[in-house]
Amino acid sequence: MLEIKNLKARVAGNDILHGLSLAVNAGEVHAIMGPNGSGKSTLAQVIAGHEDYEVTHGSVTFKGQNLFDLEPEERAREGLFLGFQYPVEIPGVNNAYLLKTALNARRAHQGLDEIDAFEFLKTAREKMAALGMDPKFLNRGVNEGFSGGEKKRNEILQMAMLEPELAILDETDSGLDIDALKAVAQGVNALRSPDRAIVLVTHYQRLLDYIEPDFVHVLSEGRIARSGDKTLAHELEEKGYDWIREAANA
Amino acid sequence: MATESEQLESLVNRRYEHGFVTDIATDSLPPGLDENVVRAISARKNEPEWLLEWRLQAYRQWLEMDEPEWAHVHYPKIDYDAISYYSAPKSDEDRPKSLDEVDPKLLETYDKLGIPLHERARLAGVAVDAVFDSVSVTTTFKEKLSEAGVIFCSFSEAVQDHPDLVRKYLGSVVPRRDNFFAALNSAVFSDGSFVYIPKGVRCPMELSTYFRINAANTGQFERTLVVADEGSYVSYLEGCTAPMRDENQLHAAVVELVALDDAEIKYSTVQNWYPGDEQGRGGIYNFVTKRGDCRGANSKISWTQVETGSAITWKYPSCLLRGENSVGEFYSVAVTNNLQQADTGTKMIHIGRNTRSTIVSKGISAGRAQQSYRGLVRVMPQAAGARNHTQCDSLLIGKDCGAHTFPYMEIKHPSAKVEHEATTSKISANQLFYCRQRGISEEDAVNMIVNGFCKEVFKELPMEFAVEAQALLNVSLEGAVG
Amino acid sequence: MITTPIDALRDIVGRFPTTRDEDWKYTDLARARDISSRWLDEGGTRPSETPDIADLVGDIDADWFVIANGRLADIPIVDGVSVEKINELPAGDNALAEFNAALLDSGLRLRIEGRPGKPVGLLFIDEAGSPSVSQGFVEVAFEPGSRGEVFEYHASRGTGEHYSNTILCIDIGDDAVAHHVRLQDRALDHVQTHRTTVSVGRDAHFESASFDLGGGLVRNDVAIDIAQPGATVNFAGLYLAGDGQHVDNHTRVDHRVGPATSRQEYRGILNGKCRCVWNGKAIVHEGADGTDADQANHNLLLSAHAEIDAKPELEIYTDDVKCSHGTTVGQLDETALFYLRTRGLDPQRATEVLTHAFAAGLVSRIPVEAAQEPVSRLMERRLGELIRSEEDYTA
Repeated sequence: MLEIKNLKARVAGNDILHGLSLAVNAGEVHAIMGPNGSGKSTLAQVIAGHEDYEVTHGSVTFKGQNLFDLEPEERAREGLFLGFQYPVEIPGVNNAYLLKTALNARRAHQGLDEIDAFEFLKTAREKMAALGMDPKFLNRGVNEGFSGGEKKRNEILQMAMLEPELAILDETDSGLDIDALKAVAQGVNALRSPDRAIVLVTHYQRLLDYIEPDFVHVLSEGRIARSGDKTLAHELEEKGYDWIREAANA
Repeated sequence: MATESEQLESLVNRRYEHGFVTDIATDSLPPGLDENVVRAISARKNEPEWLLEWRLQAYRQWLEMDEPEWAHVHYPKIDYDAISYYSAPKSDEDRPKSLDEVDPKLLETYDKLGIPLHERARLAGVAVDAVFDSVSVTTTFKEKLSEAGVIFCSFSEAVQDHPDLVRKYLGSVVPRRDNFFAALNSAVFSDGSFVYIPKGVRCPMELSTYFRINAANTGQFERTLVVADEGSYVSYLEGCTAPMRDENQLHAAVVELVALDDAEIKYSTVQNWYPGDEQGRGGIYNFVTKRGDCRGANSKISWTQVETGSAITWKYPSCLLRGENSVGEFYSVAVTNNLQQADTGTKMIHIGRNTRSTIVSKGISAGRAQQSYRGLVRVMPQAAGARNHTQCDSLLIGKDCGAHTFPYMEIKHPSAKVEHEATTSKISANQLFYCRQRGISEEDAVNMIVNGFCKEVFKELPMEFAVEAQALLNVSLEGAVG
Repeated sequence: MITTPIDALRDIVGRFPTTRDEDWKYTDLARARDISSRWLDEGGTRPSETPDIADLVGDIDADWFVIANGRLADIPIVDGVSVEKINELPAGDNALAEFNAALLDSGLRLRIEGRPGKPVGLLFIDEAGSPSVSQGFVEVAFEPGSRGEVFEYHASRGTGEHYSNTILCIDIGDDAVAHHVRLQDRALDHVQTHRTTVSVGRDAHFESASFDLGGGLVRNDVAIDIAQPGATVNFAGLYLAGDGQHVDNHTRVDHRVGPATSRQEYRGILNGKCRCVWNGKAIVHEGADGTDADQANHNLLLSAHAEIDAKPELEIYTDDVKCSHGTTVGQLDETALFYLRTRGLDPQRATEVLTHAFAAGLVSRIPVEAAQEPVSRLMERRLGELIRSEEDYTA
């Protein structure tokens, strides 16, 4: 589904990714871990197409297409979802309106009719209930005045509604209390299916207690320094990131 | 909500859609202005002697005045002798008595404009007074309104049928010599609308006027007078369009509102005069004086405006808060794109005790446009307990536009509470990226963010106007990003 | 001793700004014109001896340069500051600057090198004559990378008709840090026009606080020019006005390049028949991307005869900016007043406490340590006078 080959990228004149390769297949859950500054968020932003990030080398294909040929919105309509580390506030724009516009943009791309207003509300309410969100959030401005945890739940709600084929969740667990963390994990697990892939970008192992990954990769200095199964995450938790860095430099 | 994205879709690639010229014979005065022209206008309208005298005095005062230069707008000097001051659809004598008699081409024009003049009007419950160039063409729903005692007619009819009311209130809010453009209007105004709501009457429907400039080289100088007697209420809507022409046309209107004790007037405008093309050719010069007088205790006047048109806008709908506990409101969205220039805002003059005012101004500037908010909040020494809150935000789209804020606060009473807040920022790249990551195109994302930015003002507009306003906004900003 | 022909001087006085000029809409310089004309009629003489200043600045730890009655007194020798007199001034771009240049004895140019041990003190002191007029011109240049403090003090001796017209130019080199305090404690019949221009170098820092305590008719113009990226500008001002006073602060910040940050906050306390004007303008020029400009102005009106005219202006010609302003006019918070009364303070005392607290917010921001005590002491004294005046401010 996603194939990254020898990717190098920079932001604001600083090289961050130094030749990263990774393949993600449908049905898989990958966790990308690593210390601050290792390039985790850069990877997520590059895949989503943020213009501040400049790709200097390598390729990324998504469902066989060259990702760099697609505008950010085209990537999204193809089924690529980024859960932002810092979801932005858009004052005055109704949460439900954004959600419905986004959903219909994806549906139009798939050749489907616009979603029925009643159907939309019903689905949204169900998903919100599952995430422990007050339905009133639908009528508030996008992330406007939301707490950190509310913003993250809102990201998961959008993901649940848009049903992407590949979801990249950038530090979705940061700043969450245990209840929110469980709700978010539940939302992610509900989306797991043989035709979808999920990439969790995280600093801590904690999230992986609730979402069990098939693969764990450790990012260090813009490369994947080590890959393994979920036991790697536990090993990291015990030994810290220095261990990987030392191993990589050895 | 369901139709909103459809509208967005359908609006893509639209240019100024009201830019057609209606091909009907017109009866115009030759260009130029002197006392004879003023007399000719008055004579054509069969006006009483006092009104002619009033016009002539205004004309003489205008001659002594200078065109104001303090606004943050730049345009070549207007040649007032190159303008025709009167243009009426042919034959004033046999004015249509009903819609059936109206020139079908004219009706077609209104159709194109989407004016709810026909069945749509009835469905929407809107009574329309359409001012085409200088003469008011027809007014619907007169009968239904007259049952309620409401007078809603063209200004010319009001002069004939209700001379006492006109004489009592004309110029009582905007004096003839108030400013250069008001004086010009007072001398040469050709028509407009007149509304009187009797004591205790809540006007049974929203009243609406559409103004349209059609003939080339004509100025349009309409005059609107709305009087809400004690305890009455009226909501009045005003829409404006003009055809595309590559020369500039002058529009200098005067609007006077009078609210007596416990009366309320809500005045909404969607202004979409032709703004000129991408190179700044053509477009309307819109120099308008609008003022409301909260003359009675507990009265309220609320201005809501959505301004997307005109090459130059010079407009400050204001409130004189004379009556105790009276309330003034100003909600404004102004959009300027390409080479448009707008200098707009409001004045809230607190005179009575415990008067309150609210100002919410949202300016959006794109392309190479320049936009200024100019506002005055004055609390007079006798206005104990006056309150004002002003929120004034500007949104910038593109590197070459400008947004300016000139708020004046003159406070002469110690119990006044006046607050002014202003922000200026651009559409954030992060907001745009977030929307695009959710699959929304850049243009739609901009429209969405801009509409969100203006929400506080749109919610003040009557429903059908709010939809039109949003659509206009999106059309105006076309091509602003990318 | 006046070298410019009297007629030329009269002509300049005739061209002083009037209330028809938008920038002078609320401030009428008729008194300045009148004093100047009569002074010229009487031959334009000034007191010759330097007044005693020990009681004013004796206790303030700074190196003092004294401009008394428009004349430069003996120049001290100061480590880290090079000093020269200047006689040729540019003609000026308006009538007030022309008047200054035409009548000036000699200006003072200071150059701050490295880190001088003490603040530079600039004392402008005038003895009232009947009538008398004085000029002052000081330029302070901060060498690149230097760090220094300037304490500007405007004071009077005696009362009587007097008009002073002064100019201070601060030029801050790249990476330099300039801290500046202006204290204006003139007699209540004094007329003053004072102009401060500041140019801020690359990555340079300007911190300033101004205090207007006295003066009859006072107009301060501050113009800050940011023509290099990376500048940080923070300035604050407090104006107190009572019966008969008119205090006008006009500020202007030109952001010509970005990124740069400017913040200003002015506060005013008005009691008695007086009028204050605050006009803050920020101009973000084309290409000044990354500008962050903020203006705030808060006023307490304690009297039915006081008037405040406030005008926060923004002119913005580029899109990558963050600009804001907030202005309030009001009274002391009633909840806070009530709270203090429930704690046993009478209304008078409660008002004093809260008014002092309103002013103290700015006193705490004085960036020149040596100025903190004297400014705070004089401010408290003046505020005490204002609050205890006859005016019934609680009504």
